[in-house]
Amino acid sequence: MRRKSVNYAKYGYLFSLPFVLAFLVFSLYPIIYTTVIGFTDLKGLGKTTFKFLSNPFQNYQAVLKTVSFQKALVNTAIIWIINFIPQLLLALLLTAWFTNNRHKLRGQGIFKVMFYMPNIITAATVALLFYAMFGYPKGPVNDLLMSLGIIDSPYYFLIHKWPTRGIISFIQFWTWYGQTMIVFISGVLGINPELFEAADIDGASGPQTFLYVTLPCLKTIMLFTLVTSMIGGLQMFDIPRLLNLGGPDQSTLTASMFIYDQAFSGSYMYNRASAASMILFAIIAVLSAILFYIMRDKDAIRLAKEKKARMKAWKAQRRAAR
Amino acid sequence: MKRVLAILTTTILVAAIVLTGCTPVAPSTGGSTGTAPTKAATPAKAEVKDDPNVKVLNLWSFTEEVPKMLDKFKELNKDFNFEIKTTIIATTDGAYQPALDQALAAGGADAPDIYCAESAFVLKYTQGDAADYAAPYEALGIDVANKLKEADIAQYTIDIGTRPSDKKLVGLGYQATGGALIYRRSIAKDVWGTDDPDTIASKVGPGWDKFFEAAKDLKAKGYGIVSGDGDLWHAVEGASEKGWIVDGKLYIDPSREAFLDQAKMLKDNGWHNDTQDWTDAWFADMKDAGPQKIFGFFGPAWLINYVLVDNVGGTKPGEGTFGDWAICKPPVGFFWGGTWIIANKDTKIPATVGKIIEWITLDSSETGLQYFWANGTLSGPGGTKDTVASGTVMKKSDGSVALLGGQNMFDVFIPAGAFATGKNKTQYDETINLYWRNQVREYTAGTKSREQAIKDFKQQVADNLDVIVE
Repeated sequence: MRRKSVNYAKYGYLFSLPFVLAFLVFSLYPIIYTTVIGFTDLKGLGKTTFKFLSNPFQNYQAVLKTVSFQKALVNTAIIWIINFIPQLLLALLLTAWFTNNRHKLRGQGIFKVMFYMPNIITAATVALLFYAMFGYPKGPVNDLLMSLGIIDSPYYFLIHKWPTRGIISFIQFWTWYGQTMIVFISGVLGINPELFEAADIDGASGPQTFLYVTLPCLKTIMLFTLVTSMIGGLQMFDIPRLLNLGGPDQSTLTASMFIYDQAFSGSYMYNRASAASMILFAIIAVLSAILFYIMRDKDAIRLAKEKKARMKAWKAQRRAAR
Repeated sequence: MKRVLAILTTTILVAAIVLTGCTPVAPSTGGSTGTAPTKAATPAKAEVKDDPNVKVLNLWSFTEEVPKMLDKFKELNKDFNFEIKTTIIATTDGAYQPALDQALAAGGADAPDIYCAESAFVLKYTQGDAADYAAPYEALGIDVANKLKEADIAQYTIDIGTRPSDKKLVGLGYQATGGALIYRRSIAKDVWGTDDPDTIASKVGPGWDKFFEAAKDLKAKGYGIVSGDGDLWHAVEGASEKGWIVDGKLYIDPSREAFLDQAKMLKDNGWHNDTQDWTDAWFADMKDAGPQKIFGFFGPAWLINYVLVDNVGGTKPGEGTFGDWAICKPPVGFFWGGTWIIANKDTKIPATVGKIIEWITLDSSETGLQYFWANGTLSGPGGTKDTVASGTVMKKSDGSVALLGGQNMFDVFIPAGAFATGKNKTQYDETINLYWRNQVREYTAGTKSREQAIKDFKQQVADNLDVIVE
């Protein structure tokens, strides 16, 4: 017998209202607007009227043909990859140490705070700090290398492509590994401790426990980290812009900077900036979908299939019995 | 069904995350109050009147300079009873222009009545895309023609402040930024036996050939002529015959293209310390902390009184390089920097705005802003002296500067203002200069060939600006 219960749902709607309203005004409307003006001739300062282009994809074609945009996509990918792989590995290693029941590290709190610290500093500060450190012909790094006798004359880091990319990747790595680590640790703490006990009793070594118990259970957290980091990485803007304005020679120009430049560096080509944003959005969506597919829970899918098969077999049996 | 909903929500959320970075692309202020030229400009002869209901004056600036001037104006005019609402946004990271553009486009009670524009982007507001927002000075009740003559305003500031569509003056500055060669007396004596400005001017100019001859003389004694190629650039840029854009097409002036070779020559011969302006190494060269001593810098008065003074490593003669500087006529005429004051055509209080602007830009009396500014007495005696737009004011002011060993800077800067031209600027200069100077550095550092540098420069301009590149 069903009893009529008190309905609390309306409070849920009430509490979510501020978010929904803010989202509609500040996110959904701009998204729709961006999508629309990508197909129009809207450019130039202060213009609010526009008309649709006879070839709706003209802006998209223009952007895709632009050398700067192609370079920007490649740069974004390079910088993200050389920052993300070491970041992931270091975060995993630290997670393994921090969550190891046998070592029981002391002063964990302090270390966690210290590792997280770079993430708190604003990007502008970090970028300016590194810009000053790698100054040419005078700067702390050059002074140090010269006094150590490693180089004879000052090295112009920020006019060479790979060193600059390296510096930016390092900044990204350095500011984000703490964050990734914290997410991983919380993921590990969410794993059922009985699994670890069982592994212990079965005589698994530390690395074995990590590889065969912790890692597989961390899969969903990994997926989350991968996707958010990828979105963040593909939208990288502040550090490369503030460090060297995308230079030298556009080698650290990222996709977001390209979009910004289209819209605000002088000609106010809002339409092309919108088209470029939509292209970036499509790329992110496709890559995220691929990640979801690769990281899908194969066991759960297999189990679901087996269950279906069993149900079928059982039904068939019942029919046969009748 | 649930699944479809879930996917839909996720997509929208992801889109939100991805695209919020671009929200400024969509100006949420859809109203076009500021764009449509609704009312014809007030005829010059008619009396200009304020709307008595408006009691707030909105001022937009990128430094505290102009707001401080208004404080002084308030002090001098006891009957001034407006509340001044100041919005200051620094020009760093290009934050000022988009914000100002939005405010102008949005209009309404919060729209700026008076706004400031820096030389790097002033053309956008006086001649370019945003020029339609500006009110002609005449429409504010200013007797432009007579006042200009009376104050003897440098022609280049008028050229920049004149809107081409109706040939009306819409912006003027208070500061003159004509450039000089700022050089070291002790080095001049060591190399040429004298530190007399006229003699030195004839050693380093006129023209770049003589300048590079001088560089050789200096190098023979172990000195660099400038700190980095950026020092040369401001002079080269200011002296070129045409700007970056001619008839909507990208144009590389021969003198600007020659800068590639000049920069390379400076670097290959070790005539500079290979610094970049505004970096630590550049400042270090002002107090002889670089690898070789540097003879001079190109710049206007503000470079001396606001930048050099803090970086010479001392505050009185004998300390650091203080007092060991002098100025002379540069090899080519140029100006660098400056602030132009513009009024919004939709302002409700044109008479008051006109009074303020006239006091700042055209009043050559001893109670005008420029007299205080030139003598460094805006906030009490003993302040920083600076060159001003009005030649009349400078002639009756004392321009002796201790940093320059007591030299009267106005002797050099009054002609320097006339020597400069304001006809080679475009509204895209800030962006295009950046691309060009980066490519020049690529070339001088030896990472690419001259042809490749020019080709990449053209590609960057074509990619990012609405300019035809051939």
